[in-house]
Amino acid sequence: MNKIMYLEFERCIGCRACLAACRECGGHDAKERNYVEYVDFMESRQTYPMLCMQCKDPACARVCPANAIQITEEGVVLSAMEEKCIGCRNCTFGCPFGIPKFDFEENKMYKCDMCYDRSKHDIAPMCASVCPSEAIRFIDFDEMQELRRKRTQMNLIEGKKPAEHDKWQYVPEFFGVYSD
Amino acid sequence: MSEFVVKPGVKNLVHDDEKLVTTHCSYCGMQCGMHIRVHKKTGKIMGVEPRYDWPVTMGKMCPKGVTAYQQVQHPDRIKRPLIKKNGKFVESSWKEALDLIETKFKELQSKYGKDSLSVFGGVSMTNEKCYLVGKYARVALGTRYIDYNGRFCMSSAAGGFIKTFGIDRGSTLPWPELEHSDCFFMAGSNTAECHPTSIQWFWKAKDKGAKMIVVDPRETPTARVADVHLDLKPGTDSALANGMMHLIIREGYVDEDYVRERCNNYEELKEAVKLFTPEYTSEITGVAVEKIVKAAHIYGRSPRSVVMFARGVEQQSKGVDNVALYSSMALLRGQVGKFASGVATFTGQGNGQGGREHGQKADLLPGYRKLTDPEAVKYISSVWGINPEDMPKPGVSAYEMFDEIQNGNIRAMHVICSNPAVSAPNTEHIWSGFRKLDFLVVSDFFLSETAEFADVVLPATSWAEDEGTTTNLEGRVIRIRKVIEPVGESKPDWLIMKEIAERMGKGKHFNYDNPGEIFEELRIASKGGKADYSGITYDRIVKEDGVFWPCPSEDHPGTPTMFKERFDTPDGKANLAVVNWKPAGEYPTEDFPHILTTGRVVYHYLSGNQTRRIDFLMEQCPVPYAEMHPELASQYNLSSGDYVRLTTRRSAMDLEVRITKAIRNDTVFVPYHWGKELAVNQLTNPCLDPVSRMPEFKVCAVKMQKTAAPEASLK
Ligand code: SF4
Ligand code: SF4
Repeated sequence: MNKIMYLEFERCIGCRACLAACRECGGHDAKERNYVEYVDFMESRQTYPMLCMQCKDPACARVCPANAIQITEEGVVLSAMEEKCIGCRNCTFGCPFGIPKFDFEENKMYKCDMCYDRSKHDIAPMCASVCPSEAIRFIDFDEMQELRRKRTQMNLIEGKKPAEHDKWQYVPEFFGVYSD
Repeated sequence: MSEFVVKPGVKNLVHDDEKLVTTHCSYCGMQCGMHIRVHKKTGKIMGVEPRYDWPVTMGKMCPKGVTAYQQVQHPDRIKRPLIKKNGKFVESSWKEALDLIETKFKELQSKYGKDSLSVFGGVSMTNEKCYLVGKYARVALGTRYIDYNGRFCMSSAAGGFIKTFGIDRGSTLPWPELEHSDCFFMAGSNTAECHPTSIQWFWKAKDKGAKMIVVDPRETPTARVADVHLDLKPGTDSALANGMMHLIIREGYVDEDYVRERCNNYEELKEAVKLFTPEYTSEITGVAVEKIVKAAHIYGRSPRSVVMFARGVEQQSKGVDNVALYSSMALLRGQVGKFASGVATFTGQGNGQGGREHGQKADLLPGYRKLTDPEAVKYISSVWGINPEDMPKPGVSAYEMFDEIQNGNIRAMHVICSNPAVSAPNTEHIWSGFRKLDFLVVSDFFLSETAEFADVVLPATSWAEDEGTTTNLEGRVIRIRKVIEPVGESKPDWLIMKEIAERMGKGKHFNYDNPGEIFEELRIASKGGKADYSGITYDRIVKEDGVFWPCPSEDHPGTPTMFKERFDTPDGKANLAVVNWKPAGEYPTEDFPHILTTGRVVYHYLSGNQTRRIDFLMEQCPVPYAEMHPELASQYNLSSGDYVRLTTRRSAMDLEVRITKAIRNDTVFVPYHWGKELAVNQLTNPCLDPVSRMPEFKVCAVKMQKTAAPEASLK
């Protein structure tokens, strides 16, 4: 799997199709594993999606005392294995992005697995497939790099030039996550 | 023909025990492509798979589309006919239900005449069914009283387009071209929530530097990223459009050659917009002068621009004028009939385009023919095999049918695929009409608020249980496929109409065994009309990714771009709109000091009869609310989560408050997808557009009062 989950927060229109679609994925038990939140509804309707970063050395897996969180050969960080998870919730506290969810009824953790049954065949995960604004994409590494360069180029077209006080505006506000 | 249509090289996930059936979403005019997953052995619908290769939507779906399949085998489905006995619905056989309908219909017609029956149609169904509704009313029942819910949706767009261009096709250009436009002028469209999957095209264009001008009283997700957000007062679009044209002319942005060759009324228009200086426009609309000027410059300088609008400008008592004025902006710039530019409305209902073309409207016959045109009557009568003298005369519009009920002229109604008890304005008038009827039949697949009033409810199939076509918001005719056999004893609407026609002694005019045969008849009926489908076949639709009407012969490629050479008016020229400013039917007064506007949320569709039953959608948005600016809220000591009583001249209702700065400080917004005491249409104004008979859902005067939270039972 050379593809990358690529988030571009500002494209998000807050439709939450990604959440609905997450429930549709085969192994997902009709429970979504991703998030869409308002930045501040009082101020504006801007929302942003949040999903697992599929970290290289994932905090959730590292803090799991039962070794229940497995990482596939492609680098996808899976939900805790049912038979191993002891329900301690360490992973939910350990993850710096607040991703793993906890099912209090079943006493187990569940999280985004990049729709592993799809992504292992290079088919886009459900959220990235349906997202109408392309705030979430599943694209090649090269395409991601091109998109990042594009942002700077667009700013040049608009006639802007980075200066000390606003150079952060020229850094793409989005980032890619990749798994191998 | 295979049911699973996919282009070479496109990968989908297909489980071994499942098959995919290729179709489109049941809901809005985007008609997003999708495959539905069906379990091979059990026939159970398992879910949805994106249709990555559908060129309009590329696999994207909104949350309604993703969950649409959950309607089909939903436990709430009506599976057998229901007859009301002693105020309670009792399941019955089809025979008993049809016997009763036959007796009642015949009895009422012999007592009160043919026109005592009426039909209220809808456009969330296939072209085949929509076509048949008109024929059913006029041939099977022989009544003049037929109209449909598009009256609350697309009729102003239709009226404005016919006036301006001579023909009513929602978009003059195909959607994928939007990517190449330089500027979008979008008025009264909350695109991100109402037509979410078109956002990909706007964002793509924006990535290349396209500009966006958004006209809306609320800072919608599109307004938020717009280059200019013209935050006008609801109901002042005609002033804004005139103001824009004033500047386009003053600043020399008019394509003079184009206007000279292709448009009428230019001198009159120049005269009419003289008055609309930015200052005067700003006074009426409440939009800052600088913003109006900036928008005019951006729009005026863009080489390729598209003017787009939706219900925000259309659901007004000046809806037709608004459409004609905004369309004229595009004409002044010489944009219509060219690549990646033009005019478009966002069609609300799945088949809002196709469904309005083939004779469900009080005054129209198939192919967009006029019922007042004797030639049209003659032609359609010959297709239907009736005497032209027997063709009923034009009836009245949807809302006015309820006046006819009150007048005692309409005694019975058959509502097909619609829920006016929620979606019509001033709902109390509608409810009282339903109560007054001697006999009400409703065909639906869920028990809607309208169905609750019925004497007989007939179980119709959902969109996934029948073959057919719809016409999406571009004007592209596309293919809907049957995914499973009808649930329970439900029947497709065409079969229900056929069976009632047989009972009424008109069976020979309804001799169909499948929707394909109806489509063949529709092709002939529309031949030579404005909306000409005669060259379109089911096979072509599959091979060509849909076919755009007009398509007058099988070797005609269809018409993705309209008006390349001429307009469809008698002289081939477009008519620029010359319209003076007129206020909305109601405006704020001392007693009713604020403006109420209504609209959709992304999670629900129309009257909510379908989407209010889907878990995911209800979790996201279970009840309506009143959205307002903190400045307005603080005048009434309201915080988010408090309750407010909204009162208009029609009625009052209590709603939870949601506060955001993303709305004008004089306007309250309430979404409309709920029924009964949660229906904001209790409050809306039935002030009708004089041409389209569209009610003014988008503007009325309201007063507010803080109130206690309702009893738990109401929540
Ligand atoms: S589907 Fe895309 S646009 Fe919609 S909420 Fe999710 S990330 Fe945002
Ligand atoms: S409701 Fe409209 S935008 Fe949403 S999936 Fe269906 S057709 Fe597409």
